[in-house]
Amino acid sequence: MPEVSAPEQLPVAPARAGDPAAWDALFRRYQLPLYVFVFELVRDEQAALDLVQETFIAAFRHIGGLREDEKFGSWLFGIAHQKCIQRWRKRTEILVAEIPESADDPDGAPDELLIRREQEAAFMKLLEQLPPPQRAVLLLHFIEDFPLEEIAHITETALGTVKSRLHFAKKSLRRLLDANTIL
Amino acid sequence: MKTPREILLGRHQAAGPKLDAIRKQALSKLSHQNTQTERQAASWVSLIFHLAGAPWRELILPSRRIWMGLGAVWAVLILINVLQGDHTGRAAGSRAVSPSVMASWQVQQRWMNELLADRAIPPDTDRPRNPAPRPRSEETRWAMA
Repeated sequence: MPEVSAPEQLPVAPARAGDPAAWDALFRRYQLPLYVFVFELVRDEQAALDLVQETFIAAFRHIGGLREDEKFGSWLFGIAHQKCIQRWRKRTEILVAEIPESADDPDGAPDELLIRREQEAAFMKLLEQLPPPQRAVLLLHFIEDFPLEEIAHITETALGTVKSRLHFAKKSLRRLLDANTIL
Repeated sequence: MKTPREILLGRHQAAGPKLDAIRKQALSKLSHQNTQTERQAASWVSLIFHLAGAPWRELILPSRRIWMGLGAVWAVLILINVLQGDHTGRAAGSRAVSPSVMASWQVQQRWMNELLADRAIPPDTDRPRNPAPRPRSEETRWAMA
């Protein structure tokens, strides 16, 4: 499982130059996290696989627009997020759950939350129940531990909105885990 | 105890082979795109060469002896022209230093100056300035005469 905490040296510059080995390395690094993110948003295996592939191809096409190489990850997740939104729009699902913008405390790092084996199913169920905007923020926080600013950039929302979404998502998660007398 | 990340990624580990296949598919598409663009560039180059080569093939090659003859004639003409140009240049240079030519030119120049001096406009002092106005009757009489 790839680590996310350590700063990575991603071969973005050679990828930009069209080096297939560099693209292979980048795709290999992000394929699973990206798939998890997309799958947990669209809840459809085939659609998630298609969206991951579309994301890879879009990344290859638009790599010239990436300004900061070290933000390749958030840029890639941004593309995937846009693809998910496009898919939602096509399916005319109602996505936006309005959340009051408060909560300055984003409730610490994702690793602070530890889940026992017997809680895993409940955790996944709760994740599924969260409104998609909250789910997207929580997934980006959990999967890649992106800073809030980058999550705001990926989801194209204000920083305050991201903070509040993350706060409420975590609050819901804690409530559930507390109800199960764990954590 | 696991972190949410470990749970999430662990749950989807089974998708690994499918994701590998997708990655390979995407990479093959990308390399195909690359080769296509390379091929397009190559086709542009070949088109340019083809367009440039068309007149060569259709105009020059069928009658290459005639064109070679014409070329040789032009080369001889250019050579002659260059050699003559050099000769006249040298001749002009020798004429420039000839004292007799310089003397005759100076004499001609002097004559020209004298001729022009005779036809020169008289100075302002000799010309009548603002003649005094006369009565109109005198003017008409002068005109009739």
